[in-house]
Amino acid sequence: MSIAPVLKIENLRTYFYSRSKEAFIRSVDGVNLEIDKGETLGIVGESGSGKSITALSTMGLISAEPGVIIGKIRLTTESVQKDLLQDLNNYVKINTSPGRIMEVYKDNSGWQKYTDRMMRGIRGKEISMIFQNPKVSLNPFITIGKQITESIMLNTPIKNRNEAKDRALYWLEQVKIDSPRLRYNNNPHGLSGGMCQRAMIAMALSSEPSLLVADEPTTGLDATIQSKIVSLLAELKSSVGVTAMLISHDINVIMELSDKVAVMYGGTVLEHGPAKDILTEGSLYKHPYTEALLASIPNEQHIREKGYLQAIKGDVLDTINIPEGCRFHARCNKITDRTREQCEHIEPDLKEVFPGHSVRCWLFVDS
Amino acid sequence: MKLSAIRPILLLICKELAIASLLLLGVSFIVFIILFLSPGDPFSLLLKGQMASDTIGAGTREALGVPTAWYAQYLSWLSNILRGNFGTSIRTGLPVLSEVIRVGINTLYLTIGSMLVTLLLAVPIAILSARRGMTVFNWTSTIFTYIVSALPVFWFGYIVIYISMHQFGLFPLAFGSSSQKIGWLYFMPPVLVLGIGNGTISEVVRYLREEMERVFSEDYIRLARAKGASIWKHSLKEGFLIPITEIIASKIPFILGGAVVVEQVFNWPGMGRMAWQAAQDRDYPLIMGITIVAAIIVRLGSLIKSVVYIIVNPRASQE
Repeated sequence: MSIAPVLKIENLRTYFYSRSKEAFIRSVDGVNLEIDKGETLGIVGESGSGKSITALSTMGLISAEPGVIIGKIRLTTESVQKDLLQDLNNYVKINTSPGRIMEVYKDNSGWQKYTDRMMRGIRGKEISMIFQNPKVSLNPFITIGKQITESIMLNTPIKNRNEAKDRALYWLEQVKIDSPRLRYNNNPHGLSGGMCQRAMIAMALSSEPSLLVADEPTTGLDATIQSKIVSLLAELKSSVGVTAMLISHDINVIMELSDKVAVMYGGTVLEHGPAKDILTEGSLYKHPYTEALLASIPNEQHIREKGYLQAIKGDVLDTINIPEGCRFHARCNKITDRTREQCEHIEPDLKEVFPGHSVRCWLFVDS
Repeated sequence: MKLSAIRPILLLICKELAIASLLLLGVSFIVFIILFLSPGDPFSLLLKGQMASDTIGAGTREALGVPTAWYAQYLSWLSNILRGNFGTSIRTGLPVLSEVIRVGINTLYLTIGSMLVTLLLAVPIAILSARRGMTVFNWTSTIFTYIVSALPVFWFGYIVIYISMHQFGLFPLAFGSSSQKIGWLYFMPPVLVLGIGNGTISEVVRYLREEMERVFSEDYIRLARAKGASIWKHSLKEGFLIPITEIIASKIPFILGGAVVVEQVFNWPGMGRMAWQAAQDRDYPLIMGITIVAAIIVRLGSLIKSVVYIIVNPRASQE
């Protein structure tokens, strides 16, 4: 019997209702993902493809109203087995007249209370999160040492303040902050962006979570600091052995750190599989979007070959009026005459083209 | 507290003292000019009809050693102040400083009590509506605060007196008229009236709610939620302590102004009523003394605000 994955997201849909347009913005629209113990899943895609919303839905941190979250998020760890979205939709009422959503009623405070109760013992304890922009994400009024100590005392069996402090110093050392004892008493504004990010990573790891969600951990940092943070994460991955969901629009970061990759576009997963299959150029089965993303990476080889950087033409999908057919077809340069009819009218399924590697594209469906 | 934490506070206090002394000089000068330009003076008002002729009045003036030129009057007052002498009241002959302090205590009771009333009403409404959104209860209570803030405080005071005292005989009517045991009851109506009617309640609600909502949407609050910590604990400083000291400090002048009216209405022996009486009598030394004390209280409020800000916000202390 195989062990259940730590996190299994089934058909997740996170919609926000736009009153002015009388329609749902379908930020996440039918996402299926799995993260096995000890593995890192990288989620890559352009801005607005629903990566962060997927992560925030998992954490129950969607606060904008009125939103709807449908689907299943199964968390399976040593101490918790439950669907994080269970019964959540009792708090939302949707009035529809034929073909059109008239109004969405949401008991927002009830919804919020319910989520908070549901996530008690999970946020921080089972799932930790690293955000982007570390300088504004850490509390500016509290020293980083106290913030880490707080997290340890809340989420680990350590309840003694001095022990927790020692533990916090241990984690500050683990993330390679120089002179941790000094930094322990610093407020976030006294540290550089890179150090703040290290402190946030230390805080996330200090509760020894079953799953680490890293939402754009290198965004908003200098390029040199970015690469240092990436190598720190890679080191920690092997030394601490975390299970992680890593979200980034930077393919280089994803390449460096993930075991499996999901490519997201317009709220769905277009391709899902082992990192080495998806992110190496020239592999046989590859979604045209992934291929275009890889071609747009600014690296030496691309510049030498073409003399310019390949961009993907067109704009990111408008998630209010999702066109019929494949979500990517308007920007796709691989449509053949054989598949044109299908590409423009029927959305393809995520089809396994290789064991463990699935692609949502008509090119790989034999007619 | 370490020395490094106290240093910025000492610096601030020195700066504040320098600003305050200049300010007091300006305030006293302007008030003096207004007094000088307004018709009537203590002699013409208090001694009206008691002097046989103008020459006797001028003689009295000379005998008391009052300079005739306005700048000479101001300068003699100023030099006395610098030596710590606030002069004596023209009407009662009592020393100004001790009189102002004696009644100032009563005003302090009134203003602090009314501020507590304001906060007790406004803070829960602000917190509830910041956290739970604008529910029916929060809408009603917010509208209620706007209405009571718009009530003129003298009218509200008389209504309260009429209803509670005349109709139901709920509270003792005059200060010190009842036995010592229930003396505190006398405090209730004026404190409540000033607390509700001084017009700041709706502003406290609005300002506090806006600040809390802003802080609740900060990234660091999201991180606090993500690690399972209490968002109240994390938003306390920026979302509550700083805005509340700010709004209190900025409302002190309004509350003192309201106190003048409330003290008149309730016959409360405080600084406001004394100021009112002194203005009627053109009791120059007393008016000037009260002005100076009121200005000091207002500056003190803003000093406390700055000190709290520095203690709470580690960024401010390093600038």
